Amino acid sequence: MKQVVVHPERCVGCMQCQVACAVAHSEAKQLVPALFESPRPRSRIHVGAGQYNEGFPNRCRHCDPAPCLLACLPGAITRVADTATVMINVDTCINCASCAMACPFGVIRYHEDRSAQAGKTVAVKCDNCLARQREGGIPACVETCLSGALTFETLDAAYKRQTDAVARSVSALAAAEDLAPGWALLNAHKKARLELLTSPAPSDE
Amino acid sequence: MQYVIIGNGIAGVNAAEAIRRMDPDGRILMIGDEPLLPYCRPMISMVLEGSVPLAKLPIRPASFYDDCKIEPILGNRVTGLDVDAGRVDVNGKRVAYDKLLIAAGADPRPIRAEGLGLGNIAYMRTEAHVRRMLAALDGGARRALVLGGGLVGFKAAYGLMCRGLAVTMLIRSGYPLSMQVDAFAGGMILDTLTAHGLDVRVDIAAEVFEGKDTVEAARLSDGSRLDCDLVVIGKGVLPALDFVPRDRIEVDLGLVVDLFLQTSAPNVYAAGDAAESIDVARQTRWVNAIWPEAAAQGKVAGINMAGRTVPYERSLSRNVIRIFDLDVMTAGVVDPQMITGTEVITRFDPATRRYRQLVFQEDRLVGMTLVNAIEQGGVLMALIQNRIPVAGRRERLLAPGFNYRAVA
Ligand SMILES: Cc1cc2nc3c(=O)[nH]c(=O)nc-3n(C[C@H](O)[C@H](O)[C@H](O)COP(=O)(O)OP(=O)(O)OC[C@H]3O[C@@H](n4cnc5c(N)ncnc54)[C@H](O)[C@@H]3O)c2cc1C
Repeated sequence: MKQVVVHPERCVGCMQCQVACAVAHSEAKQLVPALFESPRPRSRIHVGAGQYNEGFPNRCRHCDPAPCLLACLPGAITRVADTATVMINVDTCINCASCAMACPFGVIRYHEDRSAQAGKTVAVKCDNCLARQREGGIPACVETCLSGALTFETLDAAYKRQTDAVARSVSALAAAEDLAPGWALLNAHKKARLELLTSPAPSDE
Repeated sequence: MQYVIIGNGIAGVNAAEAIRRMDPDGRILMIGDEPLLPYCRPMISMVLEGSVPLAKLPIRPASFYDDCKIEPILGNRVTGLDVDAGRVDVNGKRVAYDKLLIAAGADPRPIRAEGLGLGNIAYMRTEAHVRRMLAALDGGARRALVLGGGLVGFKAAYGLMCRGLAVTMLIRSGYPLSMQVDAFAGGMILDTLTAHGLDVRVDIAAEVFEGKDTVEAARLSDGSRLDCDLVVIGKGVLPALDFVPRDRIEVDLGLVVDLFLQTSAPNVYAAGDAAESIDVARQTRWVNAIWPEAAAQGKVAGINMAGRTVPYERSLSRNVIRIFDLDVMTAGVVDPQMITGTEVITRFDPATRRYRQLVFQEDRLVGMTLVNAIEQGGVLMALIQNRIPVAGRRERLLAPGFNYRAVA
């Protein structure tokens, strides 16, 4: 089973995933008309800034066991078998924010959503684009990510790739293998620049 | 293997489900006083408020007991426990156990006053209680008196205000929810409630209730008399442990459990509002009588009962509350005086009415009170609950959103 894997060291903070996510969850499925929809489609992936202002694509990890699922008061959160996806039933959700308190990644937001009754505020988070997947597609954030910070693959494949890369980097032959080609340099640059500033501004998103 | 679970609340339910996953063949007997499907107790306050219908209270399908092959014994309380013979008494019958879970939850702390037998005086703990309150509303109740400003008293007052009743609340501290929030946030909550018409009186008790069949007035300890046609008692809860032989099992406020949620008696476990375990933030024994604790403890107790040894080291007081236009999330130590060696940082932004108090002990975050912009509060909660040393600049945590990698 394929899952979205996040590689924060590759994220350049372009936020295209946020746009793609919002569009994917819109009625129109196209950017321009989506902008005029009500409620306004919003992203379920949130690009935040790390310690050195490097990008960090933050999304639901679909944890197993999922702390939000256990904490949900009305029992609105369930795991959809065979998809490694934790879902919120918007009809059952009572907007109590118990899941916000339970989520160690801070990826749940509360607002109106097309999927819910009009005017009802509900908890909203990543649904792994199950609707797109059913039609043979892949999650919108991954499809749009050009830097390789988001990939859609089986965890076995992801682990193997990472293990191979680490193995190569420690082997005598490899000098200093760049685990995230190009981006590491960019991040190092950002880091150096920011270390010059005495107080990096905390981010708001 | 014969498992007996006392209580069909969230702790008991999670335990039963965990046991069933690990032991498909064991016999599970679940004894519960309330003859209902498992339901969401905190949501009775939303039923009172009118935002959730009674029909939405159940949290498991009608087939729950069958699905999990649970034999329910509902409608009566366990009255005795013999830890030597390994059996409990219920409704004149003796039920033997190999493994016992006490997930009996808590009962409302009773108060002393005259006239408590009058109608329309209610505790607020069960589905039956909230039905009684709804009946009082249907009967035309207009003026409510709420005793206590803890979680339940506060929710009763808020619910009745949402229903349009005039509400007076008697509290002991200067602000409601004094166990849950710090004084500043408590002030914000108090201001919001009073702006919406709540009448709050501090350090006054109700001594006598008067009326013919139903309550019509209360005499208060300051000598005044208050008209009221509905009284809600919310003076906290006490673990429901009447049947527990205290000379055989260690009981403090709750049943004292070890890391594996086992009591001092062999094969007897406890979870939820009835249990007292080590609190992560306070680093001392504590009864954290809240839903997410009961759920998590029940699950871990069930796993241990079914034979896998799993420690539970995450007990932490916490709560999230939305009232009118305020969102409040708190966890751990909210009163920095409560433990020694604390350091506190706060930030308040009057424009957005965002407030944060963070309490540190050495390099650990041990408590938080957040008002508004609470969406990412779970990250802070995780820092507290996992006792993660905070390495970066602490002030960063005062921003409403931030990256976990920036701090730990
Ligand atoms: C109005 C209200 C609002 C709340 N709001 C919140 C909130 O916002 N957030 C939060 O985290 N928590 C909240 N709580 C607390 C939360 O409901 C409890 O922490 C939780 O329900 C505890 O679950 P439990 O399974 O341990 O016990 P319980 O839910 O109390 O279940 C125990 C069951 O065992 C039964 N029982 C007791 N003794 C016996 C016996 N001797 N024999 C057989 N059966 C017995 C009881 O009748 C009960 O059905 C609220 C509680 C109330 C009343």
